[in-house]
Amino acid sequence: MKFIKKSYKENLTGYLFIAPQILFFLIFLVYPIMEGVRLSLFKINYQDEVFVGLENYKRLFSDPVFVQSTINTVIFVVFIVALTVGFALFVSATIFDKNAKYVSFIRGAYYIPVMVSMVVMSMIWSFLLNPANGLIPFMARELEIASVNFLGDTRLVLPVIIFVTFATNVGQAIILYIASMIGVPKETLEAAEVDGASKLKIVFKIIIPMVKPTTIYIIIMNIIAVLKIFVVIQLLTGGGPNNASTTLMYYLYNNAFKYNQLGIASAVGVIMFLLTLALSIPQLRAMFKNN
Amino acid sequence: MFKNRGKKKEKIDIIANCIVLFFAVLSLFPLYWLVTSSFKNSSDVVKMPPDWFPATFTLSNYVDVFNNQPAFTWAYNSLFVAIVSTFLLIIVSSLAAYAFSKLQFKGKNIIFVIFISSLMIPKEVMIVPLFRIIQDFGMVNTLSGMIFPNVATAFGVFLLKGFFDTVPDSLREAAKIDGASEFKIFYKIMLPLAKPGIGALFILNFVQVWNDYLWQLVVGQSENSKTLMVGIATLMQDLNPNFAYKMAGATVAAIPMLLIFIFFQKYFTKGITLGADK
Repeated sequence: MKFIKKSYKENLTGYLFIAPQILFFLIFLVYPIMEGVRLSLFKINYQDEVFVGLENYKRLFSDPVFVQSTINTVIFVVFIVALTVGFALFVSATIFDKNAKYVSFIRGAYYIPVMVSMVVMSMIWSFLLNPANGLIPFMARELEIASVNFLGDTRLVLPVIIFVTFATNVGQAIILYIASMIGVPKETLEAAEVDGASKLKIVFKIIIPMVKPTTIYIIIMNIIAVLKIFVVIQLLTGGGPNNASTTLMYYLYNNAFKYNQLGIASAVGVIMFLLTLALSIPQLRAMFKNN
Repeated sequence: MFKNRGKKKEKIDIIANCIVLFFAVLSLFPLYWLVTSSFKNSSDVVKMPPDWFPATFTLSNYVDVFNNQPAFTWAYNSLFVAIVSTFLLIIVSSLAAYAFSKLQFKGKNIIFVIFISSLMIPKEVMIVPLFRIIQDFGMVNTLSGMIFPNVATAFGVFLLKGFFDTVPDSLREAAKIDGASEFKIFYKIMLPLAKPGIGALFILNFVQVWNDYLWQLVVGQSENSKTLMVGIATLMQDLNPNFAYKMAGATVAAIPMLLIFIFFQKYFTKGITLGADK
């Protein structure tokens, strides 16, 4: 009897401690997800809601702008993530065994653009790329490269956005890799060196395999971050020219807050939610295995 | 250890370091261009070939930003949203993290699993239902509307639980025998021990909320509820064609983050890597 009472009290204490967090969680996360699924099945006109089943999803896949948004988002994810992982690996493997001051300078130089945010960086890049009086088109003209309208050319706009996003965010991956590489046991590296292995060999045979968990983490985090790419699109291209650079998140935003198509926008949200959930499963599994 | 080799420095290592250094400087260049452009006058800023260092040095762009735009209000809003979101998150997530780490209650593991599974879901994907909730609460164009959804993240719990896990149980048992209540143990013993984690969480979350854009754009439409990021982004569409003026606005938004980074670099490195170590 006494035991039951005690465990009852212990349960209650636990619930009280988690209650505030759970409350926020339920109102601002769980409920919106369920409500999003519900809204995606309705045609919504202000207060008027008409059930239309999967109509919104069908309309999405027959909308060329949605298809374009999906293709662009996939292109962004693939190229930005590949560039980020490749370049961050290169930078970190090059510097991790150097002295601490040098490491922290390099890390800082690549991380500062992450800190000052995508909004500020997009503003700078829009100035740098401005066809009339930006620095980069000026230099392109000096070097006599034909096209200087980087953001107005349908062939150039995707590579430019890929580069800007990559250059702004690669610092995060570099910080993670450096920390992970510094954690590789010194004895392993020294043994390899005694055996006469070159640095290149050490990097490929020891370092890269040993930081694999970090690589997986960086890939997943970056896929999810690029999936919701928005700021750079809104501030640099507005999805243009001619929808050439529109993305899923930009499409969602426009449908929700410009065209007042809440049902359609919710359907895009549901698709993106399922994608992120599926993508985060490997990371979650790894996390729970360790706990 | 590689540098001990002295005479046998590898060529490839030197070349690689030169490339890394070159791109590091290149990566800082846009910020250099931002800050120096903001001090140029309206004709110098678009002069080609450019002045690599401002020939004329003027503060008038900053004066214009603060005179023509409610920039102080924007900055206040950003600061308020970032600080209150972060404090709220620290309070609710430290309580929950402590419970998940040290207390025993029914369903603990399953609740924790569900909770942590949400870790990577960005709130942007449910922006429509989230906005409707804020509408129902009458919080459109308010700072509360920007703040509350920020607290619904598992990140704080995830980060702080790791810190509570390292505190030995014996400390809690001893306090219990002395008759301390669970809340007192949490508040007087555990919380001070988790200080490094709370510091890392504070800075990481502060920066994230300060730099957030989409949600603040959606909630804060009226001139007085705009945050700094949303406000300066509107300068881009401003009719004023002076680029120096736009760059001054962007600099104002960037400076607080630069200062935070310079003074708290070690917290970042620690906080960011915590997630990956798990």
